[in-house]
Amino acid sequence: MMRERGTLIVWSSVIAAGLLAAACTDQPNVNMAPNRPSFWVTPPPAQCVTGKWTGGGRIDPPSNHDTQDETSGGQPPAYDPPPMLGKFTFGFNVFLGQDDQGNCVVTKGEIEVNGHALKLAWHVSIHNGVDAYDGRPVYANEFSDGHPGGVCLVVGVPDRPPPDGYMTARVNPGQGRETAQFEVCDNDRGGRQNTRSDAMRWRVAPLKPGETGPFGDTGLTYLTGGNIVEHGS
Amino acid sequence: MNGKSMHWVNRLAALGLVVGLVAGLASAGSAQSVGGQAYSTYVNTPLGSSGQSPLAVLPAISGTDGAEADATGSALNVAGTLSSDFLNSITSGEIGAAEAGAQSTSSAASVNILNGLITADEVVANVMSSAGQSGAVSNADGSTFTNLTVAGQSLSGDQAVAPNTNVSLPGVGYVVLNEQIPTGDGVTSSGLTVNMIHVFLQSLVGGILNPITGQILGGTLQTTGEVIVGSATSSVGP
Repeated sequence: MMRERGTLIVWSSVIAAGLLAAACTDQPNVNMAPNRPSFWVTPPPAQCVTGKWTGGGRIDPPSNHDTQDETSGGQPPAYDPPPMLGKFTFGFNVFLGQDDQGNCVVTKGEIEVNGHALKLAWHVSIHNGVDAYDGRPVYANEFSDGHPGGVCLVVGVPDRPPPDGYMTARVNPGQGRETAQFEVCDNDRGGRQNTRSDAMRWRVAPLKPGETGPFGDTGLTYLTGGNIVEHGS
Repeated sequence: MNGKSMHWVNRLAALGLVVGLVAGLASAGSAQSVGGQAYSTYVNTPLGSSGQSPLAVLPAISGTDGAEADATGSALNVAGTLSSDFLNSITSGEIGAAEAGAQSTSSAASVNILNGLITADEVVANVMSSAGQSGAVSNADGSTFTNLTVAGQSLSGDQAVAPNTNVSLPGVGYVVLNEQIPTGDGVTSSGLTVNMIHVFLQSLVGGILNPITGQILGGTLQTTGEVIVGSATSSVGP
């Protein structure tokens, strides 16, 4: 009798442990995917004020073009400007915040994009809220896309009409400068990471005086390899 | 032992179980460390040497911070051993509250190893590692060769090769294509290194020359040098 009671306590404790672990998980329920039970797999909505993103990998436009999600968040359909195709590898780390006017800005970040067909390497460096190559703030935007729970980040949102808006990237070889915009989408947030569900887009604005190098738009493209992660706060 | 003391022993055991399980689940949900590095070329042979270049190493990350590191090189030439251009290495990683990840990529174009024995228009090594509520994983998706030729055998276009493909290079040694070295337990830790081209130079040591046939009898093959093109590593751990 005593042994049965002890066993009962142990098993009920195991169940309690499971419930406690579920209650303590840092992924609370959210309404980004209202028609599915997303308690375990969907983190809370991304918020610019606390946003942190990292990732890297490879895209091969025009293969794996994500036309369905491309215009989410008011982004223009590809190709704008004209296509920039072939193999691209990249890596980035971005921290978001808000300025005094409540605008979403990048507080610090590094973005490296290599265009293999063009043999060009672009780099964006942001420290203390300022683009290292033009001394200006870099504006950003976060929004949901067509994937359940998916969220996208655009860095280099135009604060003035293009090509003057966007952000400034260094382009090598030659230490040139170009205005550019970077977009990534994390479409498997909180779940098992599947490389090919995330996406990236790299847009280099038409040339203006003082800039060097070609320009173009990869279009929003699913990764061939790598990963994009929205880390929340 | 009476019934009352047994009751408390059971309660104590149950409490310990709860604490243990909760701690275990919590640690499985978020990795505490991430690592990454990438380099395009490495040469260590009797003919010449060149360190890992250009080398990008993910800085130490603590708390819920993140970082990115990259390095580029316009060209590399180790006479008679390796020439290449447009060399790029990138690594990034971050520890989040619910998920931690690292990813690395390296590339080299116009690759020529051992005077044309191995050539490729381009080599890309790409790895990612991630740990979260659903476990820890790594993969090398996106690692490919473009127009690869090994000892006269060609692979046209941009293609992946099966992991750890071993090709003999008679009189020279052998090469491992898409060499993959996994680490971690797949639950709380995972890591992967991919070396797209790993050449092992070998020499016969300790044999005896037969004066009649001119052949060497016995001896053992020893590695005397190596060449790596396209290396990327990522890892997540507790």
